[in-house]
This record gives sequence, C-alpha cells and structure tokens, in this order.
Amino acid sequence: MVHETINHTELLEDLLLTRRFEEKVLEVYQDRGIRELPHSSLGQEAVGVGACYPLEDDDLLAPSLRTRAAMLLRTPVEEIVAGMYGTESGPSSGRTTEHHMGSSEYGILGTTGMIGSHLNPAVGAALGNRTLDNDRVTVVFFGDGASQRGEFHSALNFATVQELPVVFVIENNQWTEAMSIDKLVDVDDLADLAGHGLPTEIVDGQDVEAMVEATAEAADRARSGDGPTLLEAKTYRYRPHAETMPEHRDEATLEAWKDRDPVEMYIDRLLERDQITEAEIESIDEQLQTTIDDAFDMAESDELPDEETLYHVYKDTEIDHWKGVAK
Amino acid sequence: MSQQLDAETETTTQTIRESLNQALHEELERDERVLLYGEDVAEYGGLYKISEGLYEEFGEERVFDTPLAETSLGGTAVGAALAGARPVVEIMYADFLPIAGDHLINYAAKMYFNYGDETSVPMVVRSMYGTGDGHGLHHGQSPEAWFMNVPGLKVVMPSTPREYKGLLKGAIRDDDPVIFLENKMRYGESGPVPDEEYTISLCESDVKREGTDATIVAIGGMVYEALEAAERLSEQGIECEIVDPRTISPLDTGPILESVEKTNILVTAQEAPTFGGFGSEVAAQVIDDAFFYLDAPVKRVGAPFTPIPFAENLEEAYQPTADDIESAVIDAIET
Repeated sequence: MVHETINHTELLEDLLLTRRFEEKVLEVYQDRGIRELPHSSLGQEAVGVGACYPLEDDDLLAPSLRTRAAMLLRTPVEEIVAGMYGTESGPSSGRTTEHHMGSSEYGILGTTGMIGSHLNPAVGAALGNRTLDNDRVTVVFFGDGASQRGEFHSALNFATVQELPVVFVIENNQWTEAMSIDKLVDVDDLADLAGHGLPTEIVDGQDVEAMVEATAEAADRARSGDGPTLLEAKTYRYRPHAETMPEHRDEATLEAWKDRDPVEMYIDRLLERDQITEAEIESIDEQLQTTIDDAFDMAESDELPDEETLYHVYKDTEIDHWKGVAK
Repeated sequence: MSQQLDAETETTTQTIRESLNQALHEELERDERVLLYGEDVAEYGGLYKISEGLYEEFGEERVFDTPLAETSLGGTAVGAALAGARPVVEIMYADFLPIAGDHLINYAAKMYFNYGDETSVPMVVRSMYGTGDGHGLHHGQSPEAWFMNVPGLKVVMPSTPREYKGLLKGAIRDDDPVIFLENKMRYGESGPVPDEEYTISLCESDVKREGTDATIVAIGGMVYEALEAAERLSEQGIECEIVDPRTISPLDTGPILESVEKTNILVTAQEAPTFGGFGSEVAAQVIDDAFFYLDAPVKRVGAPFTPIPFAENLEEAYQPTADDIESAVIDAIET
C-alpha cells in the first residue's frame, strides 16, 4: 500500500500550505486587492500536491496558472507573493505575473496566458532532457479547458511517437471558465479524448494518496523509458474561474464535492489511522500561517521594480529599445 | 561593419543548399545539444534536400521526422531550448509559421523576459519563402514583417551562400530565439564560401557593394536583384551602395544611416508587400536620424498589397525585380 511509504506529516504539510495560501490570497484580495487577479485552486489542491510528492527534486514541473501547489512546493513563498504583487523581489522582478513564472533554478517551466500553450513546450523539455541524456521527468498540469484545444492532441501525439518522459495531468475541475464541462465535450471522462496509443488512468483528485500513487507509477514508467502517461484527476474548483467573474453553481453539487474536501478527507484518514494527532496538525497549521502571513507582509512593503528591469528582451544582443541594435 | 572576404581567404564555390547542409553538419558535430527535426527533414532529407545525409550520419535521436503539426514544432522547440538543448526545427514554408505563431510570438519571444534567472530560448526555426515558382498564395510569402514587431525574436534573412552558412551557425550558437528565413528560389545560387570554420554574428548589417550616388537597402533574395540593378545603373554612371541588413530584427541601423549620409538617396527592396513592411521601418529610421541628408523622398520597392497570385502573368506583375529597383533609383535621383 502506497500510504505505508508516504511521510504523512510532510504530505499534509504540503496540502495545508496550499490550502492556507489560497485562503489567504482570497482574504487579502477581498479586503484590499492584489495586483494579480486570483484564479483560485481551492478545492483541487490534492491534485498538484499529490502529483508533486513522489517526484525527484530535479524533475521538471509545468504547472497551469491554477496549479498553485506546484509553484508553492518549489518556490519560496515570499517570492511567489512578491510575484503576485509585481514587486522587486518577485520571480522576474515584476516583469511577469506569478501565474506564468518560469525558473530553471526551481525546475518550473514558464508558461503564457494562452490556456494549454505549455503542453508542447513541456513535451519539448522532455525532448531536451533526452538530448542532454539525463533522467529528468516532466510533469505537465492543465485543466479541462486545455483538453479541448488542438495543442492537447499534437502534444500527446508527439510525446507518444517519440516515447518521451512526460506525465500529463488533467486537472478536471468540471468548469472551463464559467462553462460547465458537460456542455463542452461529449465524453464522461476526458481521458477518453486522448487516444494516440497513450496509457491513461482516471484518478480521484480529491484523494491525495491516490494522486501520489498514480503519479509515482507514471513517473517510473517515464523514467524507465516507456514513454508518457495521461492521468485524469477528477476534482472540483470551489471558486469561480477568476475572482472577478462570479459563476452560478448548483448548491447541492458544490456541497457534495465539499463533503469530499481533499484536506478534510486526508486529515480524517490520518486521524483514523493514528498517523497524526490533532495537536500536531494544529502546530503545523500555525507555522504555515506565520510563514504565509510574513510573506504577504513582506510583499506589501516591497519596492516596485526599477524601470530598467523592463529592458531585458535579448540575452545575446544589446539593443536600444526604440531603434534596434545599439552601436 | 563590413564583413567582406579577405583576398587571402581560401574559398570553395558552393550553392546555398550546400552551405546550409554544411552548417547543419558542422553544428550537429560540434555540439551534442543540437537537434534537427521537422516534417520530412530526416529520411527524405528535407523538401529541398537541405538536410540530406544528416539523419544517416547523426541518427534518429538527433535528426528526426515529426508529425505534421507545426504547433508541436514551435512548442517543443521552445521547451527543448528552455531545458538546455539547441533545437533547430524546420517549418517547411514560412506560410506555415502562423500555425506555430503562438509558440513563436507568445512563448519563445517572451521567456527570457519572463524568467528571472537568465534562462533564454536558444532555438532556431528555419523556414522558406520566395515567389516566382507558381506555388500560389500559401507557399512563398515573405513573413519578416509579421515577426519584426515582436520584441524577443530575431529575424534573419541571409543572401549569399557564405552568409547562409555563417549566419545559420551564428543563429544556432545565439542564445535568443531566431527565425531563419531561406529563399527557396535561391537555393541554387552559388558563391565563394570560406574553407575554414567561421560563423557570422547576428544583428550586423553588411555593405554588399560600395557606391556614392544612392543607397539600396535590400533583404534576402532581393539582394541579388539589387546587385543586378546596381550593375545596370553603373553602366549609366550611377553608383549604388547596397546595404544588406541580414538580420531584420533587431536591426543594425548604423551602416544604413552612414550610407544615406554619404549618398543622400534611399531605396528599400523587399519581396513582401510594401505597406507596413521592413522598408517602411528603414524609411522611418532614416527620417528620424538622417532626414536632412536626404535629397529626395524615400522609395520603397516591394509587392502590392495583395496575396501572391497563381497565374503566371499575375505572379510576374506581383513580384518585385531588379527593374523596379532600377526605376526607383532613377526616380529618386531625378526628383
């Protein structure tokens, strides 16, 4: 059983960090605003947390803008918050948003504002790693929306044909922007969209241990040269696509998903198995809350970037940003 | 800065096709991080045989055929480059570049800006343009203006065999994403190529012909048309200076301005439609920084604002040539 090999304190800490972080984002946004418009992952934290847990430190993560867990588990919290505020200490000193940040140091593939645009680059990163002859695996997260784009098929096909070390994780949170997924695709399982001869697995995205197990298997498969796997994690987003666009939700459905809340489910299970105590949980929670609060305090008092930060467009050529090449 | 061949440089006459093949061969051999892939580039050797023999020599992990999906070519190249490889992808015709446009414009061009740790996107996209072969609307467009307005991309359009080789090697070694445009009508042009290993740095304009009476700024295949026009004009006593920017963006304007300050006449020449094109930017730069040196209005040679037509006579009417450049220079001088 996979749960016997998991360090549950660590995994719970990852899950609680993501939950508390997202709660704080919402609280601050509603109270006094944050420059980066929140696209909350509340309700679906177990997908990213569970998928990241079994990976090696140098495996590459390609998160979607909503895979907050992947960002948090690789990047210092204060840097993420500064990224959301566009201040000097952010990941690129305010040039980009935290949603799309990339970092070779932290093993995070940068992405763009186009949903699913990072699927082929993630496959390419796996190709690059094959060329460099290392055994890094790339795990790419994307939502149900991205599975409706042509990118999805071209990336899956390329990865399969080239047998590249990629794990595709669909975070199927049932909502594409403000549209319910059942209006947009005619299959019950998005895994059925895949084809391409690609192995697929449907995972309970509310169950962090199930995510650990499925991703561990897929990553092993990739690392041993057997090619990519697609995981469809069934989950649910509690919040709207973005905080500025309130969505109509059926209350009964929302409550049914909240009954299977990933954080509460895991805590209940650990308590039941005597793998943690209430006091331990409380202590973890307090520590996390302090870290998160401090990071927000720092960002709110951080300086805005120097204007020179803007002029960072070409690595190899010095240019005059109005004229062309500086001579 | 001129990069003319020294008289002592040992050279061999080669076609552009051969010089490109040699450049790819040398770079694949030199650096194990270099990859070459695209549609029909491996077993078939490239539609125009540019990559012939490379798959056989370097094997299928370095040189391979891909599914017919330009979005994968653009996208995987970005990822491979971010991971530390040096991908060279062929997107057959430049008309297909918009299919990969999201990855070129929104991804490749912006990741150096986006990352905080100096990670860049050292990828090269090779693609073909060029009219005159009856390929019609979608197999010959000259796309430099589509991309020159995108900060972060480098757009390269070589002219001679020596430059095709040196600039392709330069592009592969460059740390920024490069769109490398090859004129498919000129693959058979031949010229001297140094025997010794060399590279040509991007973003350096070159003076192809010296002259005192008019400046012609010509790009890609139009450099040959400009050279022909200059020969004819020389017989009429008009000496043209030809500046070949080679890298369209970011543009090295220095040699253009210097030349105009000397000749006082500016004509630009490109295959793409004149409106909103490369020549317009050159004209604007000259008006900004050398306006009082101009003796006449700037003339821009290019195509009309229409798609590339199919019928033989329409294509001829569409395509700018040495005749157009010759008339433009005479018009400017007579103004």
